[in-house]
Amino acid sequence: MSTRPLDAVESLADDLRTWLPAQRWFAAKGREITSVRVERAAPVTDGDPALVHALVLADGERYQLLFGIRAEVPEHLRPAVVGRLDDAYVYEAAQDPDLVAGLLDLLAAGSDAGGLDWRPEPGVALTTGLRARPIGVEQSNSSIVFGEHYILKLYRRPAPGPNRDVDLHRALVRAGSAQVAEPVATVTMAEDAGGTTLGFAQRFLGDAVEGWATATASVRDLLAEADLHAGEVGGDFAGEAERLGAAVARVHVDLATALGTRTVGPAGIAAELVGMHRRLDAVLDDVPGLRADEPALRSAFDAMADLPGMAVQHVHGDLHLGQVLRTAAGWVLIDFEGEPAAAPAERLLPRSPLRDVAGMLRSFDYAALHLLAGEEPDHQRLTRAAEWADRNRAAFCAGYASVGDDPLANPVLLRAFELDKAVYEVGYEHRNRPDWVPIPLAAIRRTPANR
Amino acid sequence: MTVQDTTAPDAALGLAGIPHTGEAVTADGHLTEPQAEDFHHAQSAPPDPRWYKSAVFYEVLVRAFNDSDGNGTGDLRGLADKLDYLQWLGIDCLWLPPFYASPLRDGGYDISDFRAVLPEFGTVDDFVYLLDQAHKRGIRVITDLVLNHTSDAHPWFQESRQHPDGPYGDYYVWSDTDDRYADARIIFVDTETSNWTYDPVRGQFYWHRFFSHQPDLNYENPEVQDAMLDVLRFWLDIGIDGFRLDAVPYLFEEEGTNCENLPRTHGFLKRCRKVVDDEFPGRVLLAEANQWPADVVEYFGDAGAGGDECHMAFHFPLMPRIFMAVRRESRFPISEILAQTPSIPSGAQWGIFLRNHDELTLEMVTDEERDYMYAEYAKDPRMKANIGIRRRLAPLLDNDRNQQELFTALLLSLPGSPVLYYGDEIGMGDNIWLGDRDAVRTPMQWSPDRNAGFSRCDPGRLYLPTIADPVYGFQAVNVESQMNNTSSLLHWTRRMLQVRTEHPAFGLGDFTELGSSNPSVLAYLRKHDNDVVICVNNLSRFPQPVELHLSEHDGCVPVELTGGVRFPAIGELPYLLTLPGHGFYWFQITRPHEEGEPQ
Repeated sequence: MSTRPLDAVESLADDLRTWLPAQRWFAAKGREITSVRVERAAPVTDGDPALVHALVLADGERYQLLFGIRAEVPEHLRPAVVGRLDDAYVYEAAQDPDLVAGLLDLLAAGSDAGGLDWRPEPGVALTTGLRARPIGVEQSNSSIVFGEHYILKLYRRPAPGPNRDVDLHRALVRAGSAQVAEPVATVTMAEDAGGTTLGFAQRFLGDAVEGWATATASVRDLLAEADLHAGEVGGDFAGEAERLGAAVARVHVDLATALGTRTVGPAGIAAELVGMHRRLDAVLDDVPGLRADEPALRSAFDAMADLPGMAVQHVHGDLHLGQVLRTAAGWVLIDFEGEPAAAPAERLLPRSPLRDVAGMLRSFDYAALHLLAGEEPDHQRLTRAAEWADRNRAAFCAGYASVGDDPLANPVLLRAFELDKAVYEVGYEHRNRPDWVPIPLAAIRRTPANR
Repeated sequence: MTVQDTTAPDAALGLAGIPHTGEAVTADGHLTEPQAEDFHHAQSAPPDPRWYKSAVFYEVLVRAFNDSDGNGTGDLRGLADKLDYLQWLGIDCLWLPPFYASPLRDGGYDISDFRAVLPEFGTVDDFVYLLDQAHKRGIRVITDLVLNHTSDAHPWFQESRQHPDGPYGDYYVWSDTDDRYADARIIFVDTETSNWTYDPVRGQFYWHRFFSHQPDLNYENPEVQDAMLDVLRFWLDIGIDGFRLDAVPYLFEEEGTNCENLPRTHGFLKRCRKVVDDEFPGRVLLAEANQWPADVVEYFGDAGAGGDECHMAFHFPLMPRIFMAVRRESRFPISEILAQTPSIPSGAQWGIFLRNHDELTLEMVTDEERDYMYAEYAKDPRMKANIGIRRRLAPLLDNDRNQQELFTALLLSLPGSPVLYYGDEIGMGDNIWLGDRDAVRTPMQWSPDRNAGFSRCDPGRLYLPTIADPVYGFQAVNVESQMNNTSSLLHWTRRMLQVRTEHPAFGLGDFTELGSSNPSVLAYLRKHDNDVVICVNNLSRFPQPVELHLSEHDGCVPVELTGGVRFPAIGELPYLLTLPGHGFYWFQITRPHEEGEPQ
């Protein structure tokens, strides 16, 4: 491959304009791209296939791309082709296991390939020579599993400055936390002031299952019974929910110990409230059906203003059942990138740990009701599902309270945060899955303040 | 002695006319004991020093299996008459709970003479006959041996209480007070208030970890150690293939400790092992220590030496976890306990089981783990009621054939040598209206004839009534009808045992759990040299898909083991399987060239 990488990638600008919006991790879905500019492109490995690392700006949004370049494209990689050069094809490297297998060697060796810093974490000796397996389930990133040992996450939209995901993982592991997967390596770009983290590798938890899958297996079991309560069926999840609550609380305690905690006064609470009301405003514009609930929502929010203060610290920031894994050794939390909708700087701010609790409680509600979405309402099934949600939400809180502060001791905050989250969900479902709108809407109408 | 002397050491045995301990007393006060030379010896089983690592065990109660003399109670000759059936089924080793002389106040675990057989079961010669016939069929036999204590009817104890200064005066743990070893817990809290009981004959207290009619032997006394080693030699000489050592953690006592798992107890087990290794190679010791695997591994001894205590130990916590996992439709109860199970010495093997003659106990666990187990059970009253009591496999699983097959497939494929419980191969039921222990000890159901073909006696004379309910009764569930029906559970079990025998990976192989994103599917890989087997189990009652990451076997072809059907080759992508509710697959992973298939 003789073409210079920058030229090669730049020559693809037109192809990328159509290719980028089709990718799962592309942010501005449904919008035309007017310009694609290549910020940098550098060869990571030579040969055929060669591996090229690139950062491109699509209408100003920065994306990280990995390209393979090879003369002939085998059948199974055809769908990954982005475009064609004079003498070679350019394709998305993350789909080529043989090509990306070499990334592990770069990390293990502490390489500078492509002008990037491929670095193992201090004291970590990586096992090399493992098979690579790209997994493409995430919304915003791409991940590659090496053997059953490591998982490398490539941030598709890398932002300059500190990387919350990496920093919080390191802090937790230093604190001895068993509730996260150990960091083993990073890929960073040094030339930016402050550096940009492009990739983050962790110990792979091969035996793990997503919390969402374990919880919904339990719901499925319950709904197959017409007559039994949630606590009576074999698939009862309350024991797991309780252990999950304890695991989340332990992470909060460890983060507070490692990185500190403080209390914000009325001014801080007021600032938080401004954001909540603004989010509500936006959703009300989109979803007129929520108007009837507006007064109750606003009054539940405003009840926060009477609080003397609110403890804040570093938290997970986007906690739900898809962000927790059940392993044979217990529950593990993943992806500490923070709230996806927030700007990078905003994600770094400390928040109330009850935000995480509220996120998880909302997730239990979703798990309970998702099988019923789009069905004709069936009172029996809805009742059973609500029982499941109540039972597991209570068990989660009990588990949390066994390690940290009892979340139910602060009902005003918890209710406000849950409603804030539910409002966001109404907006999201309205745009994406209208059948699911009744799930958050019912939660808003069920909240005690509205009774 | 023409008149029965009630103070004679053998007075409580009831073995007049049968060779037994204490039938004569030497001038220096020693009891005459039967010797192995007094009896015929069985021919040996085929030599195979590692046989126990891939053997399938079958626990059978002599009393419950087959009655040869029509007195309503099963016996050794009756059992011997059914060896052809057991050979046909494909089992490798019988485990017999105690058949020694005993007053039967603790199911025969209260042994009153280690060198005599309970008369209703037969004689030592009958046992030799059983052993001989079993070995002819390639079947081995092990039995329980209680090292820790004897019955209070044992002539040793009678001598010890009557003659404190005689040769047996120091055979038991005697004390003037009842306050020593205060840190040892009381095991049977329902019936005993102390580990000490006063004996008015000797005027001292004696130590007992179990029932007060079971005094503990004094292992501080080297003569006791030698005497018990001689008991081992007696049966090994006759030809037995090994012992399940009952209640091993309690042999020694030491002030200031809980008197369990003491180093000297391990020291004595090493002596037992040395007797086996030096004098009877190929025979096994199986420890019964109802503790967590991390503690039980101590009973395998020094890993550097490949294990120098017991060859085998039961893996107790696995069984309830299997039930829990299927009820929860989640693999984690099983995954967790296997992840917590340490590796074992190269010469050691776990014994695993689904049901046996005992119930599940949760006494020997850490507080945290017990809380976890209680929490899991207490949240599910139906399960608690079922698992906590002694019930058979079929009724525990609501007589669901799919679940019986899934559970058996797990038992046969998880790491360890499986122990089947008599009758479970035909899906026998239980009788919960009998005393709790007896619910699962009813007569084996051979045919729809009188007394289920177990005995020719009057039905009223049976030691326990046969199961007669419409679902599990012997008219519906019996060996004869299932042998005549090739789709029966019996035939299915037999086929699975055959498949297991053909693959050394099950007995000797490594175990690696294969993760997947489906929590209801438990998949694992067993590997021994070139024999690679993958087992995939759907713990849910609903059909499930699973994607397994098998790309390291890229290009290999999974061949289903029961039917030999070749599945699509493994590639780079996750391997997709779909399983019916409670379904399972066993695959051998074959390299394409191994098959020699025509292209």
